[in-house]
Amino acid sequence: MTKFTDHLWSDLVREHGPTLAHADRPEPGRAHLLRRPRVLAGSTLGLAGVGTALVLALGAASSPPAYAVTTNSDGSVTVQINVASSLSQANAKLGAMGIDERLEIFMASGPAAVSGPVTCTPAPGANVSGPPLKVLVGTDGTEVISPGQTGGNTGVGTYHLDHCVVWGDTGSGNSGNTGAG
Amino acid sequence: MSTEASALVRTMRERPVAVRARSRGGPPSSPLEEFEQVYLRNVDVLMGYFARRCRDPQTVADLTSETFVRAVDGFARFDPSRGSDRAWLFGIATHVFASHCEQSAGGRDAVARLGGHRPLDEDEIEELAERIDAESEGVALMRRCAQLPAVERAAIELVDLEELTPKEAALALGVSRVAFRKRLSRARSRLRKEQHSND
Repeated sequence: MTKFTDHLWSDLVREHGPTLAHADRPEPGRAHLLRRPRVLAGSTLGLAGVGTALVLALGAASSPPAYAVTTNSDGSVTVQINVASSLSQANAKLGAMGIDERLEIFMASGPAAVSGPVTCTPAPGANVSGPPLKVLVGTDGTEVISPGQTGGNTGVGTYHLDHCVVWGDTGSGNSGNTGAG
Repeated sequence: MSTEASALVRTMRERPVAVRARSRGGPPSSPLEEFEQVYLRNVDVLMGYFARRCRDPQTVADLTSETFVRAVDGFARFDPSRGSDRAWLFGIATHVFASHCEQSAGGRDAVARLGGHRPLDEDEIEELAERIDAESEGVALMRRCAQLPAVERAAIELVDLEELTPKEAALALGVSRVAFRKRLSRARSRLRKEQHSND
C-alpha cells in the first residue's frame, strides 16, 4: 500500500476498530449454522467465584452449549466457543452483565499446533485492566468445517485460533488526536 | 465499450496496483479482517474515483477517508450476497461526493470524521498528486462525457472505467437494472455519434 492508504487503514482501525470488531455481519440463509470462522466476541468477566462456570445454552438440549465462560482458579477467564453464529448474542448478553471489555479472535487455516486455550493480548492502544482472558475453540482448539455444513460450502476446511486480542469497551483503541488538524 | 473507453481501461489495468495482500489466504476470520480485505480491494479505485473529480490531494484524501468511515458505519448492514463490495462502496462514494459538493457550495469545510481533518505529510501529498495525474485519461474521458446527463456519465464511468458490471453499477446508483442498461446504452450511443462527428 502507499503511505496514505497505510495511514488511513491505521486510522480506521484505531478510531473504529471496536465497531468493526463487533459488527454483526449477515450470514445469508444460514443464520444459525457456522458459516465460517469469524470474530468471537467475549468479555472481561467480572463474574463470580473461582471455578464458576456460566453456560449459555443456546442450542438444543443434545447440542453442546454455544459457548461457556469459566473463571479459572488462577483468576484468568476461559471462553469456550462452540457455535460462532451465537457470538453476537453471547456478546450482547455479556455486555448486559456489565462486562466492559471485549474479545476478538482471529482464525487461521490448519489444525492447532497445540491443543487447548490461547491466551489473549490487549489490542494495540486498548485500555485493558481485567483478568487474563483465554479462548478455546471447540473442545481442543481445532475446528473442522465439512462439505455440506455451510451454505455453498463456504469456509470448508480446518481452522485453529491464530491469536486473540482484548478491546476495552470504553475508549479502546483510541489514543486520541488521531487526525487532529 | 467505446473505443476511447477501451483504451482507457487498458491503461488503467496496467496501472500499478497499490495494494498488497495481507490476508492469510483463507476466509476472513473476523469482521475486522473482512473489512480489511474490502479496504484493500477498493481503496485504490476509490481514490481514482475522487482523483477524477478533485485536483487537490487533501480533498481526495478526505473524501476517500470519509467513504471508508461511512462504510465502517454501514458494514453490519452490508450483505455480499446482494452485491459486490465495490458496488456498495461506490454507492457510498457517490453520496460522499454529492455531500462534498453541497458543503463546498455552502462554504463549509468538507469531510473530517476521522477525529478531525488529518493533514497529509509531504510524501502522502506527492503520492496523491501522482494518483491524480494517473487519472488524467479518465478525466479526459469524463470531459468528453460532459454533455451527457449526469446519470449517463455515471453509467459510463462505473462500467467502462471502474469495470463494475451493469448490475453492480445499477446497485451503486440506486436505479433498476433495466433503467441502468438503457442509460448506459444511450450514453455509449451518444459518445459514438460524437466520435464520428469529430472524425
